[in-house]
Amino acid sequence: MYGLWTMVANDLRQRIRDKSVFIFSLIVPLALMGVLSLVFGGLGDDTVDLQPATVVASADDADQLGAALLGAVESLEIMDVTIKRAPAADVRDEMQASGAELGIIIPEEFSDAVLSGQAASVQLVQGSDATLESGVLISVVQGAVDQIAAGTVTAAAGGIAELPHQDLATLAQQAAAGPPLLTLTEGQAAAEQLSPRGTLVAGQAGLFLMFTVGFGVLGLLAEREQGTLARLRSMPVTAGTVITAKACTGFILGVAATTVLLTAGSRLFNVSFGSPLVVAALILCVATAATSLTFVVARLVRTAEQANVAQSILAMVLGIAGGAFFPVQGTGFAATLLDLNPIGAFIRGLGISAGGGTLNDVMGPVAVMLAFAAVGLVISRFLPDWGAQA
Amino acid sequence: MEVAEVTTKDVLDVRGLVRRYGDLTAVDGVSFHIRAGETYGLLGPNGAGKTTIISMVAGLIPANEGSVRVAGLDMTPSETEAKRIIGLVPQELAIYPDLTARENLKFFGRLQGLTGKDLTRRTNEVLELIGLSDRAGDLTKKYSGGMKRRLNIGIGLLHRPALLILDEPTVGVDPQSRNSILESVERLSVEGMAVLYTTHYMEEAERLCDRIAIIDEGRFQAEGTRDQLITLTGGVDRINLRGGGSTSRAAEALSALPAVQHVDSDGAGLMLTVSDGPTALAGIVTGAGDAGMSVTSVEIVRPDLESVFLHLTGKALRD
Ligand SMILES: Nc1ncnc2c1ncn2[C@@H]1O[C@H](COP(=O)(O)OP(=O)(O)OP(=O)(O)O)[C@@H](O)[C@H]1O
Ligand SMILES: [Mg+2]
Repeated sequence: MYGLWTMVANDLRQRIRDKSVFIFSLIVPLALMGVLSLVFGGLGDDTVDLQPATVVASADDADQLGAALLGAVESLEIMDVTIKRAPAADVRDEMQASGAELGIIIPEEFSDAVLSGQAASVQLVQGSDATLESGVLISVVQGAVDQIAAGTVTAAAGGIAELPHQDLATLAQQAAAGPPLLTLTEGQAAAEQLSPRGTLVAGQAGLFLMFTVGFGVLGLLAEREQGTLARLRSMPVTAGTVITAKACTGFILGVAATTVLLTAGSRLFNVSFGSPLVVAALILCVATAATSLTFVVARLVRTAEQANVAQSILAMVLGIAGGAFFPVQGTGFAATLLDLNPIGAFIRGLGISAGGGTLNDVMGPVAVMLAFAAVGLVISRFLPDWGAQA
Repeated sequence: MEVAEVTTKDVLDVRGLVRRYGDLTAVDGVSFHIRAGETYGLLGPNGAGKTTIISMVAGLIPANEGSVRVAGLDMTPSETEAKRIIGLVPQELAIYPDLTARENLKFFGRLQGLTGKDLTRRTNEVLELIGLSDRAGDLTKKYSGGMKRRLNIGIGLLHRPALLILDEPTVGVDPQSRNSILESVERLSVEGMAVLYTTHYMEEAERLCDRIAIIDEGRFQAEGTRDQLITLTGGVDRINLRGGGSTSRAAEALSALPAVQHVDSDGAGLMLTVSDGPTALAGIVTGAGDAGMSVTSVEIVRPDLESVFLHLTGKALRD
């Protein structure tokens, strides 16, 4: 343990002293964030500004839940929504006429149907082109309906046939002012909650993490080239300790650089990634995954140049596939593969966290990153041992 | 549980060591042992297998056959106990360029188990010994080649190993530093350290080593003290007398002396083959003068390890 820490401290001292880690892990990515934000231009501020939207709705005014639903839409804080009323049959025409983003058709006796546990469907009609605004509105309605349904299921389970008015009012309130509706879905939709600039910062941080943890492996190869590895082997430390020390160095550098990048990036580009605790957990997990990958690289390459090339290729592939530059989507098997990418999971996790997600909400991405780390470790175990070849 | 035999007299015991690289047998059945306070030399030309032997002795690479025991402990690449006892000075420089000499020493000292005051004290002592005290705070990448070499040696001595292994430590060092390196090795040996020293400079082997193995193509050609090795060549000295006068009468008179085995003459003087040159010298010079030869210069040529190597392998030690 003492030997391990001695080696890690020694490595960190050298890496910090030769300054390349500052250049490649902090200055280059920050510069790149700046350049990319100029290139992709007009990425907007903090969050994307949602335009005022018009919704055409058909509902029975006496229907409490229907009214609550519309109330939730209308009182949305993140955008101005104007609701126009129209009979069910005329909703589409009215939408065309007013250029509305969304049509909502709430069936007659909606409350009764919901409260008695029958199926009741709210029909949504999307405007001629799918805008960000209509997407947001749809997920708001979806969320409200989900919450109404959840509430009534609970009520029904309690054996209450008909809810008193106060309870209806509570339900309606919950639907309207419930916790961030946007976090209800995870995955692709959640990643989109990062503003374009947020995606840029998160993506570049993830991409460069791969380079930064690579300094650990590079240290091992440098030792080989400096001849110090031979001396280390003549000392009372095991080969495993030497490798573990390099991994720790890479991990520590990775965590430090990513933390600085996200902090500096969020200041410079005015984005927020949500709870520091959740972000910290995500950073630790992605650094673990990236470090494990360097174990595999360490077993495969013999020179510093080879390691550089391998590391760059991996960083670019994982970074691009993870959405460091632009969102990447796949279907079927490809989509599964993309989902398993630790950088993708990291960006996804930051999206969830930015939307107000808690530790529980990021368990999916966390699991992906940790599984990736485990697989990397197992693979590197099966590759030939560096100590065997002199 | 097997308890290591700590009372063993041999600090190093090497038996039947073999190391192959593909078709090449770099080390081919080498056995030797070194006692405390003894300096043992491996003398051989480039590619003889010296570094390969040392790499197995220091546990850097595994042996294909044979065993290495250090103070009774098995030495293999995965052993850590035996490695506490040795100090290695690799042939290739093994120092961190982005650290100062002091930082290099402290780092390796810690790994060797030195801590606190002990570490600081030993670091200062070694810096003094290798003459780098006033440059201790400079990054080693700014050092001259010789300074790096000296630091390379210092790191191996830091923890006072029972067995110090030096692989051609003086290559690329100026004569003055070289002398100070040889002096420190001599001093350490006097203090009881066992030393394994490889070189292809026979002067170094002659000066430092109590026993020497002459190695070529992975095999020991001969092993013993310097004098034992020299007797292998027949153990005769040559004395060259230069001068004029009655050289032929002198030749006759000198051949009668018991120590003189053979006398040759050429235009410039006489060349004698003598069993013990230094002892016989006075008598020979007087005898030549008495016989009427005016001697202007005398030279004793003693057989050296170079001649032993030539004798054993038919090759010159240095290329
Ligand atoms: N890693 C290796 N792979 C293949 N062959 C090797 C390897 N290391 C050494 N050899 C070969 O083994 C033989 C002995 O090499 P070694 O380095 O032990 O010689 P040496 O006596 O130390 O020479 P020098 O005086 O030049 O240092 C040489 O023929 C060398 O080419
Ligand atoms: Mg050598």
